[in-house]
Amino acid sequence: MTSANKQIRAARYGMTIDVDRCNGCGACMVACSVENNVPPAHEGATDRKGLTWIRVYKVDNGEEYPNRRTAFVPVMCQHCGNETPCVHVCPQQAVDVDPSTGVVGEMPQRCLGCRYCMAACPYHARYFNWWDPAWPAGMEKTLNPGVTPRMRGVVEKCNLCHGRWHAAKERAAAEGKPDTEPVDYLPACAEACPTGAIHFGDLNDSASAAAKEAAEPESFRLLEKLNTQPKIYYRSKKEWVREIAAAPRPGTGKENTRG
Amino acid sequence: MNTTRREVLMFAGGSAVGVLFTPAPWRLITDSALWSENWPGIPAPGHGEIRTRYTNCSLCTAGCAVRARCVGDQPVQLSGVSGHPLTHGALCPFGLAGHHLPYLPSRVKQGPAKEAADAVANGIAKCGAGECVATLDLQPARTASWTYRRAMAALKNGRYVAPSGDSSVAVDLSQARTVLSFGVPVLDGWGTPGNVNTARGGFRLIQIEAVESRTATMADQWLRIRPGSEDALAQALAGTAPIATAADATGLATSEIVALIAQLEHDGPTLVLGSSRLASSGRTVIARREAPVPAEWQKAAPVTALASLPDRSVRVLLIDESAQGEYLPWHTIEKKLVSDNPVIVAFAWSREGYARHANFVLPVGVYPEVAGDIPSAIDSVAATFRIAAPLVSPPADMVKPEQFVAAAAGLATGDTLRERADAIHKAARGSLFTYADAKSQALKDVTADAFWKALNAGACWIDAPDDKAPVAQLAAAGTESRPAEQADLPLAVVVSRELTPGSPILSKLYQESNLRLAPNRVALNPACGLEDGAQAVFETLLGKCHVGVTLDAGVPAGVVQVSGSPAVLDLCAAGVRAKVVRV
Amino acid sequence: MASQSMDRQFITRGLTRCSGSKFLWWISPWIALLLFGLYAAALCLIKGLNQTNMDNRFAFGLWIFLDLTVIALGAGAFFTGFLLYILKLDELRSVINSAVVIGLVCYSGAMCVLAVDVGQPLRAWFTFWYPNVHSMLTEVTFCISCYLTVLAIEYVPIVLRNRKLRQVPSFLVFEFELHKLIYVLAGVGTFLSFFHQGSLGGLYGVLRGRPFAFREGLAVWPSTFFLFILSAAAVGPSFILLTTWLVEKLSHKRLVRPEVLQLLGRISGSLLAVYVLAKSIDTLVWINRTSPETGFQAWQYYSWKPFGSWILVAEIGLFGLVPALILLAPKLRRRTGWLVSGAVLACLGVALNRFVLTVQTLALPTLSFDRFLSYTPSWQETGTFLAVVAYGVLVYSFSFRYFQLFPQERELKIAAPQMEEERELVGRS
Repeated sequence: MTSANKQIRAARYGMTIDVDRCNGCGACMVACSVENNVPPAHEGATDRKGLTWIRVYKVDNGEEYPNRRTAFVPVMCQHCGNETPCVHVCPQQAVDVDPSTGVVGEMPQRCLGCRYCMAACPYHARYFNWWDPAWPAGMEKTLNPGVTPRMRGVVEKCNLCHGRWHAAKERAAAEGKPDTEPVDYLPACAEACPTGAIHFGDLNDSASAAAKEAAEPESFRLLEKLNTQPKIYYRSKKEWVREIAAAPRPGTGKENTRG
Repeated sequence: MNTTRREVLMFAGGSAVGVLFTPAPWRLITDSALWSENWPGIPAPGHGEIRTRYTNCSLCTAGCAVRARCVGDQPVQLSGVSGHPLTHGALCPFGLAGHHLPYLPSRVKQGPAKEAADAVANGIAKCGAGECVATLDLQPARTASWTYRRAMAALKNGRYVAPSGDSSVAVDLSQARTVLSFGVPVLDGWGTPGNVNTARGGFRLIQIEAVESRTATMADQWLRIRPGSEDALAQALAGTAPIATAADATGLATSEIVALIAQLEHDGPTLVLGSSRLASSGRTVIARREAPVPAEWQKAAPVTALASLPDRSVRVLLIDESAQGEYLPWHTIEKKLVSDNPVIVAFAWSREGYARHANFVLPVGVYPEVAGDIPSAIDSVAATFRIAAPLVSPPADMVKPEQFVAAAAGLATGDTLRERADAIHKAARGSLFTYADAKSQALKDVTADAFWKALNAGACWIDAPDDKAPVAQLAAAGTESRPAEQADLPLAVVVSRELTPGSPILSKLYQESNLRLAPNRVALNPACGLEDGAQAVFETLLGKCHVGVTLDAGVPAGVVQVSGSPAVLDLCAAGVRAKVVRV
Repeated sequence: MASQSMDRQFITRGLTRCSGSKFLWWISPWIALLLFGLYAAALCLIKGLNQTNMDNRFAFGLWIFLDLTVIALGAGAFFTGFLLYILKLDELRSVINSAVVIGLVCYSGAMCVLAVDVGQPLRAWFTFWYPNVHSMLTEVTFCISCYLTVLAIEYVPIVLRNRKLRQVPSFLVFEFELHKLIYVLAGVGTFLSFFHQGSLGGLYGVLRGRPFAFREGLAVWPSTFFLFILSAAAVGPSFILLTTWLVEKLSHKRLVRPEVLQLLGRISGSLLAVYVLAKSIDTLVWINRTSPETGFQAWQYYSWKPFGSWILVAEIGLFGLVPALILLAPKLRRRTGWLVSGAVLACLGVALNRFVLTVQTLALPTLSFDRFLSYTPSWQETGTFLAVVAYGVLVYSFSFRYFQLFPQERELKIAAPQMEEERELVGRS
């Protein structure tokens, strides 16, 4: 009927996270695990062997009371847009950047478990299944049918709730909307945050809250000098929090010991 | 025709090469990838129609509205209901995983209901002079709490015991310009989180606490005092004690306390949480009329504080642990029991709490299996009535504590929730907010049946505002004394409670990230010499138990912060000191 | 007795080897170690990688570090082949067979450990099926698999020249024909090794998310690509030298002329000197330009205990420049003690380099709210690796016993007393 010249309007899904609002409650971490069928910790798991697609770190300015300042920074896959480190290194092409959404997707079914991508990621956003997933008896009934559980030996990470994006696409198709337009949806963490610290949206859409906030001067990204162009922006009015984003402090003995 | 061996070999070789040009071997190769993806033992999610249902979370008195995404009848995901006038769509990490609770490994599945009933009847008959039958209700002000009070009134020596806290008083955050909190976790699980977050911009929060809690981190000002010196500081702020004494006790500078007094004077109205020595000002704390109750229920026992019961006077103790509430350390309860064979019945869904101490542990349904109403939250200016409408069926053989206690006291009851709803409907005031359509309407425009149906499908009744409500004051718990120094128990104990037990998925916040202090862990300053994750023994004068160690620079030296595990709380009392020794 | 004489029939004519029972005594502990290690590896395969102490921050651990070291040490196989068949350095003919066996053992052992190290070993073929042309690891997988095949093919003639096996005419013919290909094999082996040794370096150099490891370079190849090739080529001959000397000591036999070992030392020393120069330049560029541009000052890396700047000095100086100088000095080369020490230092230097790039890279924080972490391998990891060591010793022992690994051994045995005198004279000068 018509030419095949459909221009897909590409979205660049991203987030702004207001660090000044985050109180470290962990609702985002729980909502993410429920949505994505992340299993509870195995007995031997610690914070170094756990599966936390989004993880809230408690950071401080290294001072003692009364000059001590603390903040909470949720970190998930930053969905790097430029020379995405993990995409380049995966030997099996199990990681790719979706050009229509900007989301860095992981295919656990193709993952060999070589963990090269984990070494490549500077944000430590990738997690390995050191154990087979196990839920207490009966709790498998509560698994989300939109997401496949993974088995051991594969790497997994935040994919901006790809299952929800798919469901939104299907809904849009059922409503007759053109499939060249990006869809509106909300990942579990943004939906669950009780303080409203996480704003999700299409960074290409200048009308979206996320795009507007990302352009503001108090917005910054982690490790900007590495030039990975992440799509997760953090916001804070506090100077010391913005400094946190740059690079590690040398060992002063006052290093952060939580998380 | 004779086929030679050479021809057979040529045919085989040619076929081998030829088959490579067919899809067959390549499909087999890629199929082996599928075999490596779907090993047995990896559970598959269920299938079914996706439905949305609504309820209210009964894990705490916030009673946040819940939208449940269900596969068939099984909830697979919970989220808040945005637009709710009180909870504003917020749900805490515990509520987000509430649908896992029925599958907890520590679930109590069976119990000797008949034997327990007989033992209770015997105990009631054996009660002598000065002895009593007590029902300990850990989440008072529910409809079931009225049944207990009525049941205890029906007995000649029945007592209704509840932890301190007055539900006839409410906090109005919108009226406060300053909130002075003595260790109350205002921003981390107090009141209704959605309401606190919405009101946050309107007040300055001063947190007075010995450790750097989440609230202290987010507060506008955190004043670090020595554990147990809250009372001294409050007295100085109230002007009933000299500032120098407070400075001495708390470790704050005199100038800091003077500045604080000035702040409270100029930046009122001030809401004071966590201490009754200092009064809140303005209309920050007001009296709140309760949701209407059927007239026949007024013959009910009054609320008795545990401390006011005489020691060794309780012959039969019925503990309703079915709703999560404040865990009272066992030693405070044990001393009220008679010394010769008291009957202790615990209605519990988990083995971790009073089930460890009771003679009879009777299994109950857990959220989201059982219908029960949720008391009004402390920061709800108007009374509310909401039911935790069940989303799944409880297992067979569950006991209903309300019915058990009523039967033991010989009190005839019907569907108490329905009776309550009808009484509220009769009073014809207030509004009904239904979750499915996020609409609010006046209660008088709704029939009684429609009201009952809406409550069970996910809704909230909010009382009409009472502009003439008198100003009131919050009653705080018993004041903590400054722990005396003790050579072999060098650590002062600070308790910060987590809702426990919770879903196994909370390991994300506990051992997989150390974001929150796990119930079976204690937090110590990094200079304590132990490693993070070390196994240790936590010991006080009341006993010892195994814990794990979390290092936290927000905990000052000389202090140990404990979380909400009942086993640990049993060892804590006001002003207790402890030691933590590596195993 | 009969079995003894059977055994003797497999041993090359003219050479003496210890008795069968003595040989059994030698291999028994290695078999025991192999079995223990196989058990450790089986635990990792059956129960999963939670048996190791690797974690989300230490994605690579003992295995990757030792794999890289072992592959670098096994580079002697390709390099000796290159020197012998392409550059026609005929003295090396006396060690080429041993080098091939060592190479085979190193590469096959590394592949076995890699099969245990990945989370899904059954998906190992995915790299061939869905290769990612941008990934260094794809290149490594392809080249190492091909090179292992080449090594296996190079090993076949050694096997077929066994005294008993060469009595089979078809084997003899096959071996003869195969030997015509030896130049092709050497060339292919050099080509493949160039690329996979380099890609192993490239693995770290392309990590722009890890400024400690990241390097600039030429086109898509970071400087570590070339540095790894250089270091592997430099240390390969040292390792051959070391193993030959060790086998001579253990078997109490003369296997090669001392000049051959000295030649190996000289080659190793010269390449090592070039490597040290290249590495120093690279380090300076990294300290002054590459790292600061990513926002990470180089001195920050060395402020975490125990990885102080001593480790950089040790890698380039004590284990780089020092053995280079030792091996380049003719007087020192002629003394076995110095020669062997130089070789040992060189090998340790390569091991240290691989360790630094694997372990130190992952230990260092990248985010300011990270911590510096430490890692100790679990016994299962150590056990698995010891299985590879045991496997190597067993394969080499069998090869040494039944195949002619050292062509000069026979003539040296005959000339033994003469050699003794010469050696004493040489030792004194």
